[in-house]
Amino acid sequence: MLKSKTFVKKTRSGGVLKVVREHYLRDDIWCGSEVCTECKQDSTVLQRDACIESSLCPYPHYLVPDTNVVLHQIDVLEDPVIRNVIILQTVLQEVRHRSAPVYKRLKDIIHEQGRHFYTFTNEHHRETFIEREPGESANDQNDRAIRVAVKWYSQHLKTPESGPDGLKVVLLTNDQGNKLKAEETGVVVYKFDEYIKSLIGNPELVDCLALSNDDKNEITSSKVLFPEHLPLSKVQAGIKSGSFLQGTFRASRDNYLEATVFVQGEGEDSTEVLIQGLQNLNRAVHQDVVAVQLLPKNQWVAPSSVVLQDDGAAKDDNVDEDEEEKVLTGALTETARRATGKVVGIIKRNWRPFCGMLNVSQIKESTRHLFTPADRRIPRIRIETRQASTLAGQRIMVAIDGWPKDSRYPNGHFVRSLGAAGEKDTEEEVLLLEHDVPHQAFSQAVLSFLPKMPWSITPEDMAQRQDLRHLTVCSVDPPGCTDIDDALHCRELENGKLEVGVHIADVSHFIRPGNALDKEAANRGTTVYLCGKRIDMVPELLSSNLCSLRSNVERFAFSCIWEMNHKAEILKTRFTKSVINSKASLTYAEAQMRIDDANKNDDITESLRGLNKLAKILKKKRIENGALTLSSLEVRFHMDSETHDPIDLQTKELMETNSMVEEFMLLANISVAQKIYEEFPESALLRKHPAPPPSNYDILIKAAKSKNVMIHTDSAKALADSLDGAKVDGFQYFNTLLRILATRCMMPAVYFCSGMDSDFHHYGLASPIYTHFTSPIRRYADIIVHRLLAVAISADGTYPDLMDKHKQSALCNNLNYRHKMSQYAQRSSVAFHTQLFFKTRGILNEKGFVLFVRKNAIIVLIPKFGLEGTVFFDSKDKASPNLVFDEEGPTLKVEQHTFHIFDQVKVTISLDDSNIQHQKIRMALIEPVIPGVSVPAPEAEPQAKKRKLDR
Amino acid sequence: MATVQVSEAEKVYILHGIRDDLRVDGRGCEDYRHMEVETDVVSNTDGSAKVTLGHTAVLVGIKAEIGKPRPMVANEGYLEFFVDCSANATPEFEGRGGEELGTELSNTLYKVFNNQHSLDLKSLCISPGEHCWVLYVDVLLLQCDGNLYDSISVAIKAALFITKIPRVHISSDEEGGKEIELSDDPYDCMRLDVENVPCIVTLCKIGHRHVVDATLQEKACSVASLIISVTHKGIITCSRKVGRGSLDPESICEMIETGKRVGKALHPPLMKLLQQEESLGKKRQKVGFLG
Repeated sequence: MLKSKTFVKKTRSGGVLKVVREHYLRDDIWCGSEVCTECKQDSTVLQRDACIESSLCPYPHYLVPDTNVVLHQIDVLEDPVIRNVIILQTVLQEVRHRSAPVYKRLKDIIHEQGRHFYTFTNEHHRETFIEREPGESANDQNDRAIRVAVKWYSQHLKTPESGPDGLKVVLLTNDQGNKLKAEETGVVVYKFDEYIKSLIGNPELVDCLALSNDDKNEITSSKVLFPEHLPLSKVQAGIKSGSFLQGTFRASRDNYLEATVFVQGEGEDSTEVLIQGLQNLNRAVHQDVVAVQLLPKNQWVAPSSVVLQDDGAAKDDNVDEDEEEKVLTGALTETARRATGKVVGIIKRNWRPFCGMLNVSQIKESTRHLFTPADRRIPRIRIETRQASTLAGQRIMVAIDGWPKDSRYPNGHFVRSLGAAGEKDTEEEVLLLEHDVPHQAFSQAVLSFLPKMPWSITPEDMAQRQDLRHLTVCSVDPPGCTDIDDALHCRELENGKLEVGVHIADVSHFIRPGNALDKEAANRGTTVYLCGKRIDMVPELLSSNLCSLRSNVERFAFSCIWEMNHKAEILKTRFTKSVINSKASLTYAEAQMRIDDANKNDDITESLRGLNKLAKILKKKRIENGALTLSSLEVRFHMDSETHDPIDLQTKELMETNSMVEEFMLLANISVAQKIYEEFPESALLRKHPAPPPSNYDILIKAAKSKNVMIHTDSAKALADSLDGAKVDGFQYFNTLLRILATRCMMPAVYFCSGMDSDFHHYGLASPIYTHFTSPIRRYADIIVHRLLAVAISADGTYPDLMDKHKQSALCNNLNYRHKMSQYAQRSSVAFHTQLFFKTRGILNEKGFVLFVRKNAIIVLIPKFGLEGTVFFDSKDKASPNLVFDEEGPTLKVEQHTFHIFDQVKVTISLDDSNIQHQKIRMALIEPVIPGVSVPAPEAEPQAKKRKLDR
Repeated sequence: MATVQVSEAEKVYILHGIRDDLRVDGRGCEDYRHMEVETDVVSNTDGSAKVTLGHTAVLVGIKAEIGKPRPMVANEGYLEFFVDCSANATPEFEGRGGEELGTELSNTLYKVFNNQHSLDLKSLCISPGEHCWVLYVDVLLLQCDGNLYDSISVAIKAALFITKIPRVHISSDEEGGKEIELSDDPYDCMRLDVENVPCIVTLCKIGHRHVVDATLQEKACSVASLIISVTHKGIITCSRKVGRGSLDPESICEMIETGKRVGKALHPPLMKLLQQEESLGKKRQKVGFLG
């Protein structure tokens, strides 16, 4: 049966278009229930015995949530207790339209087989299809569609033998009007919270309930604390006319009454608007997109330098906020004033579930408690829970439901508990969540696209690939590496030239464009390495087995093979899909030993020597070209094999073989970049590293000057040369320190699509073009590059998204974001393990160097641990010493002593765990001795040493 | 234009019949053939109608789009006509064969509607000088069996009657920037007042008399026709002479009088029919093109 759906829509150019879609109704859509005998379905999803212990519905029942229930109560629906749910197509489509994250979560639940969620395509079912009636709004139509479907279900499932206690279908809605109408038609309907509260066996679910609109009113007093937000249409009009500015709200870390709104202007021209005071902040939360209105110039203020944290007991909503804000108004110098504004409307909320801890209310029986997020930029959230005593001391997740204008705090609900605070697993979970690293187990949909085991290479595969199994290929990686994505070989050809091959795991063979596995990998973007833990981008079967180029197994590879002369000049470049059989998986140290051991002369060692020789020439050439050798301290923890606690830490050592592998990876990346750019000038995925603006180098130049060393920063080459020449007698570490500083001056390297940008230069590598090709197991960018290259050499087909520069560019944005977040997560993980390490060590004193000088502190680097810490000279409880800061040096004079950059100091290191959410390493000065500032050398040190020996 | 070969004897027969007010198919001189009208036949137009008259079949589709008003009449919308002579209708239209006729027909339609009475063009204005509705009237000839003008005009009237233009309103901010907003209810539509839309009556001079709704055979006997467009009040909005021959002034007056009378009588049953059809609503069985 054919119906048509008609609607009018506005086109981008302002025209009005009538759209008519054909809509086919069918009579072969089955109900999905085990009970049903009429439907000719192959398999059923909904169980016969659908029992959840509920005092409202003692009979077996299926649940049908309406759209708003799904949107707002997805946290509850995700609970495994909720089973046998019918998700109507109407609901699914509207959820998809309204919130992509909720839609994804819902789809994940539906895919989970144990949950018995069934999608019923009611809009294509002959009996449940409805047409829009005159005067009916789209929402009303959807509500009616849901009611009609529920009605149909309840009649459909009614069998002659089912009595009053037979299977029923229950509609869950929070809409009073909808509920009444449903009752009129004789459908069993409950409000969602009513139903959840009736679940006898699972009282804890009640805490997960998001507050619905009518509940919110009872919590708060009637006093209006905040100005009303303007409606979106007015906001948009205001932005168009220029009276409002649109920007991202960034709360201040140090002062909860202050924030900036970052307004993206045309090109480089971006401004920041300062927002101060509770009223002006007007319920905006960090990362929201907001509209701000500038205040008249005479009300502009300067950013306050006070650190202000919103702590203590829950403030009454009636509290006079003037009291809180008094602290803000300091002395105002004309120059310090900045553009100041107030938030008038919220364009897009960017709320996510936040990690943090509960402040249990002092009132014993109270069920309302405040929640303090781990991120200081997020305001405290009021939640309702009956399990406060169990949740105290745990890290929990809370989602914000709303922020009414008469409430001091946003209202939220408990999502789940992550575990006891301070424990390793809990903290790891927290840092993954806070850095938005997707780390759930791969869903069934994703896993379904993995190749079936046992997997073997078929003759068809062989026919499409070059057989390179006879070559002496080997891989060199850090110890313990299981995702080996590169292997190398080098051999002498008959013509006296050298053949060098870089073989990269052929991940794109297993991950086909557009399937769930591909989408998941594209979303994850990168594998995240934490201390002692790896969050894979692709399932383990691929990352550690089928793709990993392990020794003595046949693996698919994408090979880049050069013919070179002995001067390491490339004569020919060739790319091919291949099959290889690695002869050895070596660590850097093992490879180094083989090269150094004059007695070894086997094929592998010869190959390594050849590679090493070429690598040295390549590196020399690269450095002559002006590539930078920068430095940052990386630490490695020695982990206890059972407790996984760090026992010892050391800075990573670099061997010749490290740079050998690196050289060939760079070469492969550059060769591939050239090739794909040549083939696809519009849609090649490349990586660039912009040159930093000259002002970035100020600190480096000043610091070097203080030691009478000149640094030239006109070009990468000049910088590299002057860094090489920078030496101070008797100060061995100086060069490394300079390089560390230089690293901090750099801009981050980013992925981009060649059709969207004109500047391709990679500053750090001094290469005109660069991309990532060599680590497809752990980086999604490489998979795309593989696909492009495969198309370029006609080894594989293309697909539309690959050539779409806008889609490519959107992908790059995600990859850059994921890459950045993974680095932050990595750093936090190191920081956390450092804390764990110092927890067991007690107080240590160590030598360090001043890395930066600030107004009230110095930042000290401890080379032994690669640890950076701040020594504050002012504190809340003590009178601060006389501090004189000179920006030109920069130097800081504390009482009589002047600190310069690179000064050597001695500090004590200890763990400050006074705040369980924010443990940190505390450093205090021992040497130079400044009376009243430095602390005496602690005696705890020998004790700690002894403990170390005990182990 | 589609033509048929008629022998001299046949011509004489037809001529003599008409002289006695009896035509070959039994009609009188002022009678139309059987006419069928169906509206809303093409779902992706804003209004459409199909008319068959004898074996002549025309389809009219109307699309409303937002455009800029003409500079001289800033507060009015306008109509655009396009006549497509499909090769379905007759093989002569194949290639560019129908182009000339199409242009002639659409030029006539422009003239017919070029007045203040036929349609309230002001109702098509959205915001003066900036936005207005432009109605694109697309006529498709499906089959030619004489009297194209009359059937096209009836089809246009029927299509305009059923045309539903989405209701829009202009929201303006304090700065004077204007934004067109669209209602999300597909039933929220504007209808046109078609009462004054004229119908065309073609009068064919055959011998000393003239006939309405001439068949192809009759047409072959005539040297000239007069087309006049008449509103329901009997106001003539346009008249044209087509054909090679000439008409004497006396017979022109006579023909205009007949045209007025026939035209006036054409409107009420048409309107009644259209209203009846609409009142059936969704229950109406659609006939479409296969009926």
